[in-house]
Amino acid sequence: MKKKALLLFGVLVLCLADSVAPLTAAGTAELDNEARILVQKKLLQKKRQGYAVESMDTFIKYSLFNIGGITATNVVLKDPSIVHAFEVVAGDVDVTLGRIAPQGNASHVIIIRPIKYGYVHNFTSAVVTYSSGENTQEVHTMHSDEPDDMYITSLKEFERKFSPHFVDWAAFAVMSVPPLLIPFMLWHSSKAKYEAVFIPKKGK
Amino acid sequence: MSKNKQFTREEELLLQDFSRNVSTKSNALFYGNAFIVSAIPIWLFWRIHLLDIVTTSPIFLLVTLVATWLMAFAYKNTKFSLKHKVAVKREAAVTEDMNRKLSEDKKMSKKEKDERILWKKNEVADYEATTFSIFYNNALFLALIIIASFYVLRSFSPTINYMLSVTLSGGLLALLSTGTQ
Repeated sequence: MKKKALLLFGVLVLCLADSVAPLTAAGTAELDNEARILVQKKLLQKKRQGYAVESMDTFIKYSLFNIGGITATNVVLKDPSIVHAFEVVAGDVDVTLGRIAPQGNASHVIIIRPIKYGYVHNFTSAVVTYSSGENTQEVHTMHSDEPDDMYITSLKEFERKFSPHFVDWAAFAVMSVPPLLIPFMLWHSSKAKYEAVFIPKKGK
Repeated sequence: MSKNKQFTREEELLLQDFSRNVSTKSNALFYGNAFIVSAIPIWLFWRIHLLDIVTTSPIFLLVTLVATWLMAFAYKNTKFSLKHKVAVKREAAVTEDMNRKLSEDKKMSKKEKDERILWKKNEVADYEATTFSIFYNNALFLALIIIASFYVLRSFSPTINYMLSVTLSGGLLALLSTGTQ
């Protein structure tokens, strides 16, 4: 009885395994036969307290990951929304990256400078088009994530908040010394003179 | 009844002592110092708060003149209240010092010596009260400006910040100087 029960249980497990395995393998099998690009769009400006500042350079990094099983070809990255609000100082917003190997990655960095300020800029996603493998006409499109909205402040406002102004404070200190030191020294010299009247002179 | 309008030297000195009036020289000193110290915050607001100096120059001028008057008022009142305290403190030392200097002059009468000692006491008290008043009010004014413009009023626009911080600091000092103690 025990042996029969164990045998029945084993058959049951094998049957279940046979039915479940195709389900889990379906996702990965699909990726094995195609290229799939994931795109991340990120602003790099840690030191500036999260501000985009008028006439100050800001970096945008696009990271592309091919999580598929075959090479992505004719990979083209486009981000046309940037040019409406920013001046592109270095790099291209419309660039052909060529090929990305399976499980490989590529990145592209551009340097931009805000043209206008005093408003919250809504960063939209970049678009990547690619083909899956060689000799294929089918074009796939993938959108990147969207970075957080960012307030673009004027340079004046930013410097007012964050610039240390060491030289300016030093100059202020230098300017403040005469109106404080001169009256104090004059008062102190008279005070010291008359306080010394009752101190007996040495040697007498 | 004869009307004697001529005061003795002693009475004149006493009147001067108890009077709030200042001499022309002291006035010039007070207004000159007040103008200089009232103009110093312009640097702070131009370089640190980044106010445009050309477009804001009428406001700078007006506020500086108002602060100059307030500071001069504070100087005068502070000097007046300090003078008596200084006179009491220095009385013995000035008397001793003058006695030493005048002891060799045998021709001078006691009355003349007393008048000179009184005059010297008044002069020393006046001098020390004037210089300390200027130092004290300048130090407080600059400290109040920094606290007001960088902490209390920092959320205001720079122009309003300047007008309020300088005027209120000068006004507060003028008010405090009218205290009886």
